[in-house]
Amino acid sequence: MLSSYHVQIIILSGINVIMAASLNLITGYTGQLSIGHAAFMSIGAYASGLATLLLGFPFYLSLFIGALVASAFGVLLGLPTLKLKGDYLAIVTLGFCEIVRIVILNMDITGGAVGLRGLPKETDLLTVVVCVIITLLVLTRILHSRVGHALIAIREDETAAEGMGINTTYYKVIAFGVGAFFAGLGGGLFSHFFRYIHPNSFDFMRSIEQLCMVVLGGLGNLWGSVVGAVALTAIPELLRASADYRQLFYGALLIIMMRVRPEGLLGTRSEGFGIKSKFFRYSGWKKKGEA
Amino acid sequence: MLSQQLVNGIVLGSTYALIALGYTMVYGIIELINFAHGEIYMFGAFVAMLLVTIYKVPFLLSLLVAMALSSLLGVTIEFLAYRPLRRAPRLAALISAIGASIFLQNLALFIMGPRPYNFPSPFERRVFNLEIFAISQIELYILLISFFLMLGLHFLIMKTKLGKAMRATAQDKDTAALMGINIDKVISATFLIGSAFGAASGVMIGVYFRSVSPTMGLMPGLKGFVAAVLGGIGNIPGAMLGGLLLGVAETMGAAYLSSQYRDAVAFAILIVVLILKPSGLLGKMVQDKV
Amino acid sequence: MRTQKRFLCLVVLMLCLGVLLAGCGGQADAPPAEEQGEDTKDPSEGDAAELEEVKVGMVGPLTGGAATYGISTRNGIEVAINQANENEEIPGVYLSFHPEDTEGDWSKSANAFSKLIEQDGVSVIVGAVLSSETEAGGPIAMDLGIPTISPSSTATGLTVGNPYLFRNCLSDEVQASQLAEYAVEELGLSRFAILYTNNDYGNALKDAFEETAASLAEVVSVEAFMDNDENFRPQLTSIQQKNPDAIFIAGYYTEAAKIAQQAAEQGLDVQILGADGFYSPVLVELGEETVEGAIFTAGFHGDDPDPNVQSFVEAYREKFNEDPDMFAAQAYDAARIVIEAMKKYGTDPESIREGIAATKDFPGITGLTSIDEEGDTIKEVLILQVENGAFKRIR
Repeated sequence: MLSSYHVQIIILSGINVIMAASLNLITGYTGQLSIGHAAFMSIGAYASGLATLLLGFPFYLSLFIGALVASAFGVLLGLPTLKLKGDYLAIVTLGFCEIVRIVILNMDITGGAVGLRGLPKETDLLTVVVCVIITLLVLTRILHSRVGHALIAIREDETAAEGMGINTTYYKVIAFGVGAFFAGLGGGLFSHFFRYIHPNSFDFMRSIEQLCMVVLGGLGNLWGSVVGAVALTAIPELLRASADYRQLFYGALLIIMMRVRPEGLLGTRSEGFGIKSKFFRYSGWKKKGEA
Repeated sequence: MLSQQLVNGIVLGSTYALIALGYTMVYGIIELINFAHGEIYMFGAFVAMLLVTIYKVPFLLSLLVAMALSSLLGVTIEFLAYRPLRRAPRLAALISAIGASIFLQNLALFIMGPRPYNFPSPFERRVFNLEIFAISQIELYILLISFFLMLGLHFLIMKTKLGKAMRATAQDKDTAALMGINIDKVISATFLIGSAFGAASGVMIGVYFRSVSPTMGLMPGLKGFVAAVLGGIGNIPGAMLGGLLLGVAETMGAAYLSSQYRDAVAFAILIVVLILKPSGLLGKMVQDKV
Repeated sequence: MRTQKRFLCLVVLMLCLGVLLAGCGGQADAPPAEEQGEDTKDPSEGDAAELEEVKVGMVGPLTGGAATYGISTRNGIEVAINQANENEEIPGVYLSFHPEDTEGDWSKSANAFSKLIEQDGVSVIVGAVLSSETEAGGPIAMDLGIPTISPSSTATGLTVGNPYLFRNCLSDEVQASQLAEYAVEELGLSRFAILYTNNDYGNALKDAFEETAASLAEVVSVEAFMDNDENFRPQLTSIQQKNPDAIFIAGYYTEAAKIAQQAAEQGLDVQILGADGFYSPVLVELGEETVEGAIFTAGFHGDDPDPNVQSFVEAYREKFNEDPDMFAAQAYDAARIVIEAMKKYGTDPESIREGIAATKDFPGITGLTSIDEEGDTIKEVLILQVENGAFKRIR
């Protein structure tokens, strides 16, 4: 029998799968490094929470609204930052994440520093499983469509993609919009699971954690995100047995895992996969022509 | 008031600049965001604090020892956590860096305990009250030490053989290797110098704010990274400029806009700057070739 | 290639879930000796077999930026539990202690609560430390019928609507408004600046202090800072311009000490006021002579000659080699309230809940304590002053 502790971990794993898979679309498939994914999660969590609390919307409608609002912010963030590449984009997403957190912390409607209380408990195992399946199905459909191919083309070589007639701006915004949509969905599930939300949990460390899930599972592999998310949700719980050494083990584990499988658990070795891609380029060594 | 806040901002900014230098040097050579840099900063502060309080070592000497030991730590981290990943995807090294950061922070917590320690001030409290602003002795020292460290770095990079090798490696590793440059050594040297700067910054912040704690590296590490990007990551004068600008922006934001939104203001400025200049203030726009 | 990857994926997933379930199952019936290695054990091993084990959980930030508060809390509870075990206060019962880490993140607090209750089978939880942690964990403990008493979560209305949630701390509103009255009426201060930490604790203190102080005198400046901030110069420079004669720092000792240092550094020499978050030896260690004369409210005074207080301070010093702070003292009292409840009502969760709810005029080291019908505490507020590096009671 599953105790509610296990159910809780499975639900959190499910939410993390949604977060990691949606981040994978932006970072793993489109090649846009984002370290601010938690911002969309918090927007979704607050928007859906407020829809439930203030407007009295039913749960599923609130979830949808949260996802939609997050998606709108995703497009908004996507638009001006399209000129930015690589780590410059990363830092803008990070800044966005911190700005969102600070604004929510100082707003009255969100409960500010006290947090938003009194949400009903709606998220259960079934809802999460259904949402995970929907997320993975939709993302798979997108990735196997024209859009998906365009996204991968952008990751592999943006200039070439543009040369091939791909409207890179349009597709990058789509990636951000869709990624943020599902992140918002995850946020809505999150807030209706804990019945309480506070902005401090959506800081850049959470974004980093989500990025770790994606990289650990394998960039550009949706199933990898599933594995990565479940692993990084379960491992800290398993490490509870080691009490005071817990975080030490966790840090060491990240280093060791990357050393053993740098391409991620389900990632592909770089041969034949993005060999020209700047994103997957060997860190230390760039070919002259590439610069 | 305005001039006073400007001075506050510049002092804060010069410490950010020192942290940013470490980030930017490492990035310039191996394109890695060295997340463990904040922990090196913390380590440096702890070493100096322990030397000063327990062994009564003079401040400047303990600063140098802290820089030396932190350099060793930086090189060790590079050797253990980054070198094996040099041929791996970039993000793998990033995750490894995050792992190193978590590990070191919690190691410090484990050994030193969570309470902040007092860093006894080596200088007496003296404030020079000029007409338009006041500056304390310690602030002057921070500005002075930062200035000389940066000057030294500039000299090292522009005038020495090692500096030349570093610049060559940053430009093109393969060609540099063909020219007989030992890439491994250059990378180690980069970590050595970058970590020394991080430690110097940690020691000065420790003295300035009079406290040292295991988690002290978290926010400054992030800010240093932001400053490095703001100036154009990989660009050394850029890191200095970025650091100063970030310090001033943060101070002005807190003073004139709202102290509640201080960090938000700093990040908003960052985003605006990057939208206007997508590769940072002094970064070069690299044209992609197909 | 494909099948290989799928296989790998499956193996990792199975492994994670398998280890999780197995690991947890194993833990549940592991002997207590393994669970909490060190000193919480009763020294009389021979009797341990006959004693009934009752598990006490604790939730708080043991790592991360707020770790110093969490670890003080853990230490305080440990002292209380050790004393109870040594003196065999509860006949036939041996208390074991199970602290869990949240990293200061409320969403991880929920996991810690469930784990303690379902895997470890604790009968009562002392915690959590931060208000947000208690907000997230409280409902879980309620659903599972386990009483929880937080020693430091001060957020307004936290315990409302949760009959299983109690707390043992000073109310932010009460202490801030009493301090404001004292500052105006007894100290004759009239121009106040407020510097508050932008979390629930700082906000609640600021609101209450501002309201009272503004009605009696004048509040000239209100500035905020963030948790774990180090640099307060911009705010202090702004405050200095307004020329206040006192500055109320609504935050914890680490930040308060740095603020005092930096204020002195820039020549802002005014009366420093604070709340119970000031109570720690660290305030004087970090603040040195700049916190001399600071006046703050508190629920605990370590130099109180009361034998209960002295026995706690001695036990704490002996075990942890430092002086207890406010977190440790309140945690100790919270654990004491639980132990008293067990003595009088029994050791099953429902009896403990009943016992805590019935607490009246409990002579704790943080003053006479009663629990009201909402689960909140009613306590008297002390006012302390830093004098020659020690805390002296002035009211």
